[in-house]
Amino acid sequence: MSTLAPQRSQPLKYDPSVERAVESVSSRLTGDYRLTRRSVALLLLQDDPEIRELVQETEGPNFALVNDAVHTSSQGFAEPLDSVISLQRRDAVRAITESAVRHSEHSRVRFNERLSRLCTSPITGLPILALVLWFGLYQFVGIFGGGTLVGLLENDLFGGIINPWVTKVVQALLPWPWLSDLFVGEYGMWTLGVTYAIALIFPIVGTFFLAFSILEDSGYFPRLAMLIDRLFKTIGLNGKAVIPIVLGFGCDTMATIVTRILETRRERIIATFLLSLAIPCSAQIGIMVALLAGHPAAFWTWAGIMAGIFLVIGYLTSKLLPGEPARFAMELPPLRWPSLTNIAAKTYARMQWYLMEVFPLFVLASVVIWIGRLTGLFGIVIEALKPVANILGFHGPLATGMSEVFLFGFFRRDYGAAGLDKMHGEHALTGNHTLVAVVTLTIFLPCVAQFLMMKKERGMKMALAMAGFIFPFAIFVGWALNLTLTTLNIKL
Amino acid sequence: MITRCGFCAHEFTEEEAHKTCSKCAQFGGCKMVMCPRCGYEMPQTPKLIQMIRQWRLRRVEAAQ
Repeated sequence: MSTLAPQRSQPLKYDPSVERAVESVSSRLTGDYRLTRRSVALLLLQDDPEIRELVQETEGPNFALVNDAVHTSSQGFAEPLDSVISLQRRDAVRAITESAVRHSEHSRVRFNERLSRLCTSPITGLPILALVLWFGLYQFVGIFGGGTLVGLLENDLFGGIINPWVTKVVQALLPWPWLSDLFVGEYGMWTLGVTYAIALIFPIVGTFFLAFSILEDSGYFPRLAMLIDRLFKTIGLNGKAVIPIVLGFGCDTMATIVTRILETRRERIIATFLLSLAIPCSAQIGIMVALLAGHPAAFWTWAGIMAGIFLVIGYLTSKLLPGEPARFAMELPPLRWPSLTNIAAKTYARMQWYLMEVFPLFVLASVVIWIGRLTGLFGIVIEALKPVANILGFHGPLATGMSEVFLFGFFRRDYGAAGLDKMHGEHALTGNHTLVAVVTLTIFLPCVAQFLMMKKERGMKMALAMAGFIFPFAIFVGWALNLTLTTLNIKL
Repeated sequence: MITRCGFCAHEFTEEEAHKTCSKCAQFGGCKMVMCPRCGYEMPQTPKLIQMIRQWRLRRVEAAQ
C-alpha cells in the first residue's frame, strides 16, 4: 500500500440542506470561539453537550436565537442530524481514501482483518453466529454449566450433603413444622432461595457471563451489529439496537433503560416490546438451555420459535407504528484476542452484580410463598392456574407443578425457570412437555422490575398494553405448539 | 479510573459515564456504567479488582 500526498486541504462540503442549516446557525453566532463559527454550528447541530454549554455561556441572551435556529433546522430532517452529518463525512472520507491510496497487488490482509470481514458478511457471518450459539450457549452454558456444574453443586453438594444437614439442625432448633418450613420446607428460604441462587443460578450465570465476556472483549458485538443491521431494518430497528438486545440477554430491565440510546421514539417502543417478549435474560436462558440440553431438536425448535416471534412480531409492530428506521454507522474497533485479566474482571463484576440483585429477591419470594401457604392463598392461586396448565397439555400432578411455575414466572421468569428445573427433576418431563413449558415461559414478561422500568421509560398506557399482549400471547403460543406436536405425533 | 467500552472500545472515566446514566429501578441501583459514546452498559469495576490492579501497578513501579 502506498499513499500520495494531498494536493491542498479543502473544507468538506455537505449536501445543500445541511449547508443551509449550518449557515442558518453560524450566521446567528456572535461570540469569539477558538473554533470557526462553521465548526461550532456543526457541533451544535450534532447536539454536542459541551459546545452547547460553551455557546450558552458565550452568547448570553443571544443564545435563545441560536437555539431556535438549531431547533428549526433540525426539524427539516427525517433522521437526527448527527447521523446525517456522520454518514456524509464517512462518504467523503471513503472518496478521499479511494483517490489517494493505492493497494499493492501483493499486500496481504492480516488474519484478524480477514476474520472481521467474515463475521460481517451475511454469507459467512450467519454460520459463524450459529457456531457461537452452539458452542458458547448450548455446549458451554447448557451442557457444561447447566448440566455438569449444576449436577455437582445442586445434587451432590447441596442435595446430598448441605441441605440434609441444615434441615436436621433447623428442625431440631425449631420443632414447629409451620415455622421450620419458612427455612427448610419445600419452598424454604434455605432449601429454595439459597439453593436456587447458589447451586442453580450461580454456575449457569457464571458460565453465561464467562462466554459473554469472551465475546465482548474480542470485539465480536460491533461486528454482530453490522451483520444484522439489514435484518433489523425489516423490524423497524437498525444495527445500533444490537446494544440493548445483546444486553437483554444479560438483564432485560437494564436493557430497557439502554433503549434510550436509540434515535427515535418508534425504535425505542419496538425494542422495549421485543425485549419483554422474546429476549430471555441470562439466568433464564441458562436454565432453559440446561433443560433442553438432552434434546437438541427441542433446543433448535425453541431457538427457531423465539427467533420467528422476534422477527414476525417486530415486523408487525413496525408496520403498526409509522416511520423509518434511522441509518446506522459506526467505526469498527479491531478484532482482538481476548485478555484473560479482562475476562476474569468482567465475569466477576457481572456475577457479583447479578447475585446481589437476585439473592434478596429469591429469599423474599420464599417468605411470600410461606405466607401464601400458611393463609391458604397459595393453594387457591395454584387451583385457579390449573386450567391454563391443562390447555398446554399438563394434567394431574404435572398441572400442579406447572401452575407453580407460572405463579413464580409472573414475578420473575428466571425464578419460574428454576421451578421448572425442579419439576423436571421430580417428574421426568418428556421432551414435548419441556419444550412447551420453556417456550411459554420465555415469552412471559421477565419480572416485576421490568414492568416498572417499561412504565418509567414508555409510560403506563404503553406498559399495560405490552403486558396485556404478552401473557395471553405466551399461553396461545404454548397451546398452538402443544396442539401441533400432538396432532403431528412428534415426540422430542 | 479509565474504563474501556466493551462495544465501541471508547475509553472514558466513570465521571463521564455517570453523565449519561441516571438512577434506575434495579434493587439497590444497577451499579452499571454507560459508555458516553455508544450507550453500551457495563458493570463498574469491583473494588477487589481495583485493589488488585493498584497493587500490581505499585509492584511494577517499585521494580522500576
